[in-house]
Amino acid sequence: MAGAGTTAAAAFLAGCSKSSTPPSSGGGTTTPPPQDVPDNDILNFALNLEYLEAEFYLRAATGSGLSSTDALSGAGTVTGGAAVQGFSTAMQQYAVEIAQDELNHVRAIQETISKNSGTPVARPNIDFTNAFNALAAAAGIGSSFDPFSSPSAFLVGAFVFEDVGVTAYTGAAPAITNTDILSAAAGIQAVEAYHAAEIRTLLVGMAATNKDQTYVNYANQVSALRGKLGGGNETMLSVSSIVAADTTNAIAFARTTDQVLHIVYATAPGAGVKSGGFFPNGLNGSISTTAS
Amino acid sequence: MANTETKQLDSIISSRRALLTLGGAALAGLAFAPRAEAQSAVSDTDILNFALNLEYLEAQFYNLAVSGVTIDKLPTPIPVSVNGAAAGTVTLKPSFMKVPFALPPIQAYAMETAIEEGKHVSFLQGALGTAAVSMPDIDLYNSFNALAMVAGLGSSFDPFASDATFLIGAYIFEDVGVSAYHGAAGLIKDKKTILPAAVGIHAVEAYHAGLVRTSINALDAGTGTLNTITQKISAARSMLANPSSASTTTYTGSKADDIGLTTTMVSLNGTSASYSSSTIVDCDSNSIGWGRTTSQVLAIVTGTDPSATSHKGVFFPSGLNGNIK
Repeated sequence: MAGAGTTAAAAFLAGCSKSSTPPSSGGGTTTPPPQDVPDNDILNFALNLEYLEAEFYLRAATGSGLSSTDALSGAGTVTGGAAVQGFSTAMQQYAVEIAQDELNHVRAIQETISKNSGTPVARPNIDFTNAFNALAAAAGIGSSFDPFSSPSAFLVGAFVFEDVGVTAYTGAAPAITNTDILSAAAGIQAVEAYHAAEIRTLLVGMAATNKDQTYVNYANQVSALRGKLGGGNETMLSVSSIVAADTTNAIAFARTTDQVLHIVYATAPGAGVKSGGFFPNGLNGSISTTAS
Repeated sequence: MANTETKQLDSIISSRRALLTLGGAALAGLAFAPRAEAQSAVSDTDILNFALNLEYLEAQFYNLAVSGVTIDKLPTPIPVSVNGAAAGTVTLKPSFMKVPFALPPIQAYAMETAIEEGKHVSFLQGALGTAAVSMPDIDLYNSFNALAMVAGLGSSFDPFASDATFLIGAYIFEDVGVSAYHGAAGLIKDKKTILPAAVGIHAVEAYHAGLVRTSINALDAGTGTLNTITQKISAARSMLANPSSASTTTYTGSKADDIGLTTTMVSLNGTSASYSSSTIVDCDSNSIGWGRTTSQVLAIVTGTDPSATSHKGVFFPSGLNGNIK
């Protein structure tokens, strides 16, 4: 991988599309066509989601989040998150791996935007505490939910993010005009799908070991809620249903940026939503307000 | 021969580990560097047919594992001969039997994957219509033995023998499928229909790979027995896809593009590598999945050099059908 030169990359990336026009409307279908949006806007949208995931896993694995260097100048605050107690050795290693992956994604996307003559956005305000409580209430899990309270709860928290990340990249990647950036986005999409499968496999595995389906049921309640907010695009989790994909062709779901925003903002479909849920002050960048 | 190869594999593994310990920051300058290989223009039809060959292979493997029959003999058959072209044959060990699964979850995963890979075959056949190719000859017997030799696993390997060997067999395919769709994505010209579908299948292959790798790691349970096998397979794939342009004995693994299941130390948000991490995800040091050119994928599935003018062998003894072969 390291063989190709950065000079070549820089020269190639210099000619890429740049952020200049506003995003088009997101559409509302379950299998959306690619949107006509500048690559850097898409990358900044993805960067917000990677900040969210990186903060979640870093805090779960280590108790502290992104460094001020990684969060960039002018970064917002993060509410909630703590080292999960009671991880087995294997679970700790899983959490560490995903934390490192999401941190690397933050850095890689920042770097790519800069090389593409754009400006990476700083970390927006992120709220885990209130968002997970609100999500639990809306999903019918209960009035509060702390994903940092136990290994099982952590897996449900991870479940909230991973499949959404996959659908976001699956939806956004085809819209990317630069071939190298498309390739990188596909590479990140794959990593998110590995994570998603890992989390789903661990959830059913842990349920089998403990002879307790509680947390798989929570995950499916979360899935139902995501489906309501994000245009369907969900597959129930069970031992015989690990992959999230459409039942006809076994192709992963793609979500529009609007559908992703409604999930992370924890709001019902509709135009003009610009904040809520995990992002109390909205995303940073030009893709932050729903068009539908 | 085997000794030399084993040494090369060891060097690939250790250099890969060395690379990992450098951490993301040290390699940040390399982020998103484009692949050096240039590919001649290929049509979307060529790419989809290339994918169809790989999906035939995966669908046959999983359906044989769970049902004991080829996909054209399933209760709801999936055709292997389309558009009037004869299908190839599937070579299996004498007295082949489906996998005697002892672990219900593994059997359930196998069944799910079998169904999904079958759907990929049907989808691609439908998308290609009159341009779809038939199934080429597929070898699921001598192929695994040959690969076992290359990987330094011994003279034979039967993926249909047990839950564990089935998972290893699945491991051989899934990460390759991910890297193949990844590499092909940038070549696709139809960005409105074909690219989204390819990107969606790519994600499903990565789900499968994540499922298989998580399951193997759980079954390994810290003993290293299965994980060591995955390291050797990953090293073999890496070597097949990136042979040294000079003597094979000088191969250093600098282009290694695969990692097996192991543990490695990472630094996370600190400055020293003090956290033990798993390697469930098959990705580079920037946590980006690897993409492979069609030539590299052909090299892995046929055991040939990526630069060969035609690729035949291992899983595809007569080569692939279509224009990318």
